[in-house]
Amino acid sequence: MPKSLLIISRQSPWSGPSAREALDIALAGGAFDLPLGMLFLDDGVLQLMPSQNASQLQQKDITANLQALSMFGVEDLFACGASLAERGLLPAELNVEALQVLRHQEIATLIDRYDQVITI
Amino acid sequence: MSTLHVLSHSPYTDSRLNSCLRLLGSEDAILLCGDATYALTPATAARQILDAKVGSLALFVLDEDAKARNLTLPDWVKSVDYPGFVALSVQYDKVNTWL
Amino acid sequence: MKFAIALYSPAHAPSSRRALQFAQAVLADGHEIVRLFFYQDGVHSASSNVVTPQDELDISAQWRAFVASNQLDGVVCIAAALRRGVLNEEEAERYSRPAANLAAPWDLSGLGQLHDAVQAADRLICFGGP
Repeated sequence: MPKSLLIISRQSPWSGPSAREALDIALAGGAFDLPLGMLFLDDGVLQLMPSQNASQLQQKDITANLQALSMFGVEDLFACGASLAERGLLPAELNVEALQVLRHQEIATLIDRYDQVITI
Repeated sequence: MSTLHVLSHSPYTDSRLNSCLRLLGSEDAILLCGDATYALTPATAARQILDAKVGSLALFVLDEDAKARNLTLPDWVKSVDYPGFVALSVQYDKVNTWL
Repeated sequence: MKFAIALYSPAHAPSSRRALQFAQAVLADGHEIVRLFFYQDGVHSASSNVVTPQDELDISAQWRAFVASNQLDGVVCIAAALRRGVLNEEEAERYSRPAANLAAPWDLSGLGQLHDAVQAADRLICFGGP
């Protein structure tokens, strides 16, 4: 049985390469059909904001890659409810569908469910 | 299942310690290394938060970092060297470094 | 136990030295390192071009020696390396860049190698930040 990996993405979309590079780990793992989950935590939830304009910064829009996750077989997507609330984001408005919003205690349980974890 | 969380950022400028504390499982532990060891400085907010966890949190510190910073450790914190760090990574089911 | 060790920081970061010290302790304790995977700014820890003053540690040289003498699988993520200007001879030629700054014992490869290491190992330990 393959080992499962949880990727915790904590950085905002354009503060540096971390958001993109966390996503790359997920997409690569999905391409190999590995059991993966992705949790957006702290500033990582800013990646989920709707209607971003990456072209203003001459950057690629991360939204397309986020939406590709399920196509790559990465369907277990989570966001920290407190992180969303602190940043004024409503779960219904996010740019990714089928995302589970979790409380802190549920995140502790989530981490326990995976064999390995990478927090970027 | 138990996770060893590894932190190396200063608690004064960074939110990783606070975020980590909010997500801890009951069997989890924290290893403070690098600038995260400053969280043990007496009479600071970070130290107060950690003191409140005595008995419910297994807290470790990387020996060389505590010594480099001349930190006096409370007796409930266990100092480890690198062989000790390896032993912890074996003892806990997984290691979550807050990069 | 089998360890996969991933490094996300450059040679001058304390975490790069910390990762090396940890890796050395892993082997000293009789465990196995299935792969070292350098990602994000960790690609700079594999640079051949770091120059440090004689009275300071040369962590990139120490990493090289550690990987070579223990015959470890040292992989640098190619996508992360290219966008940070860390290239071996082959990539420097492919992209017509003036210089190569990555050499043996390091191999350039994809994120599949990180996943492969995670599958093969009992423990994944990441190092990065300060």
